[in-house]
Amino acid sequence: MMRPILAGLDTEYGFSVEARGAENQIEDSQAFVRTYPGTAFVGWDYRHEAPRSDLRGFRLEALAFDPEDAKFDAGRSYGSSVEIRSDRILTTGGRFYNDHGHPEYATPECFTLKGLVGHELAGDEILRQTAEAYEAKTGKSVALYKNNTDFHGASWGTHENYLVSRSVGYEKLFKGVMPMLLVRQVLSGSGKVGSETGAKVPYQISQRADFIVEPSNAETLYRRPLFNTRDEPHSRPTDFIRLHVISGDANMIAASTFRKAGLVKLAVALTEIGAAPHWDIKDPVRSFQSISRDETFRFEIPLAKDSWTTADEVLESYFAAAERFLDLDDELKFVIDEGRQLLQTLRTDFPAFARSVDWAAKRQMLEMYMQDSGTDWNDPALRSYDLEYHNLRPEESLHAALVDMDLVPANPAPVSEPERSRAWVRGYAVEHFGKYLKSAAWRSLTFEVDGKQQDVELWPDQTYNLELDALANVNTFIQAMREMK
Amino acid sequence: MTDGDRLTRPLNPSPDRKMGDESGPSAPDVQKPEGGNELLRRMKKIDPDQAKKYRQRSGQ
Repeated sequence: MMRPILAGLDTEYGFSVEARGAENQIEDSQAFVRTYPGTAFVGWDYRHEAPRSDLRGFRLEALAFDPEDAKFDAGRSYGSSVEIRSDRILTTGGRFYNDHGHPEYATPECFTLKGLVGHELAGDEILRQTAEAYEAKTGKSVALYKNNTDFHGASWGTHENYLVSRSVGYEKLFKGVMPMLLVRQVLSGSGKVGSETGAKVPYQISQRADFIVEPSNAETLYRRPLFNTRDEPHSRPTDFIRLHVISGDANMIAASTFRKAGLVKLAVALTEIGAAPHWDIKDPVRSFQSISRDETFRFEIPLAKDSWTTADEVLESYFAAAERFLDLDDELKFVIDEGRQLLQTLRTDFPAFARSVDWAAKRQMLEMYMQDSGTDWNDPALRSYDLEYHNLRPEESLHAALVDMDLVPANPAPVSEPERSRAWVRGYAVEHFGKYLKSAAWRSLTFEVDGKQQDVELWPDQTYNLELDALANVNTFIQAMREMK
Repeated sequence: MTDGDRLTRPLNPSPDRKMGDESGPSAPDVQKPEGGNELLRRMKKIDPDQAKKYRQRSGQ
């Protein structure tokens, strides 16, 4: 069986407080995160964070920022970055914090897609619980959206993280994974009314395509790439790369989240063994946008030497290679079987396709509205219905209305128990040994016991099945962790 | 990465095709489902200008 690929999802949520604007968003999101009502440890360890390091072997002097967005900060002072971020480490091993004015939830690291999706849904629940606590405390209502754009040119991310062997290196990883990042939007995009680049587009597949302007770089706030080269492994850098994917959309349909991550796992696994399909794509950025905006659903992709292919063919090439070269687990077999089926139903049974894919579910919903109201894609209200599809409150969400009508399936229940990845260790320490914890991060825990500081390395490729003896007290716990490798 | 002779090459890439050929996939015949009343009822509660008012900070 192929090695399980550790993965995590980070979701930044659209967020606004009643009678407050984007200019207040950083303070508001900070206060919001601090209202989280559950058990959490405060003390994130930033030692290992290096957002300016690039996989290609250099370090940026500074990250680019959006000059329009920077205007919101004119004349403002926010305090220290640690205060602003307000990190909370959760008992699941996940993380909840304020990122550029957006409450962000990062799942605990998971080996399985099922666990990843369950913890991603748990994030939605954490946001709802925090909103309830915040509203009770302040008397102000909060709006939360699981989307990636405000229709005015601002975008925020839903990032994915995959553990990859360092031996793969940038060149192979880019060539092996980039084509998948380009085409998977057909099966996992969340859809958007119009465009934010000035292009005349009635509806497109991807929320992020308007904001993806370079094939690869380490930026995330501006000049965003299809393939992100941030080299921040959150583990021993000589052994691992953390593939940081920023070009995907937030999904309301959990099956799309499962598929989105599963497709990348296929590409990563094939790349690691040197069996990824080779596609010489002429202009990845232009193709990412043209697939997103293709009203014909042909999804053509120009290749070098004046040839072309389609998104369907690229997906099938990964499916065929995976079946031939990988010892697939049941989850990835499902991703392939379902992916093929969806590519069929996209053109033969759109309502069936729309049950599983957000962009299609939303498009179908908007077409129902237009048919009823006698309007067309020029109706400015469509963007509001697009937005409300992503509303996190079930009683207001149009996605939830589609669930009620059985046009899309109900999502599975959230998961609160971490898998036995290193996230379990982190969560257990927060829940049971919090008074000894000094700080915590993805790759380490630091305890202080009897006046002595003790660091514990958390291994990303390790399964942590501890005997009860190891959990007896903080000393046995630390000792057991240190004996893991 | 595979070399040019590996089976992982695309199954039906038709590499000689030029842009503009009509041999690729085509748009579906989209049929709208019945029974949108609950959806439309909920839509009527939504401020049609909601998206105009929705301004956010740029994130990552």
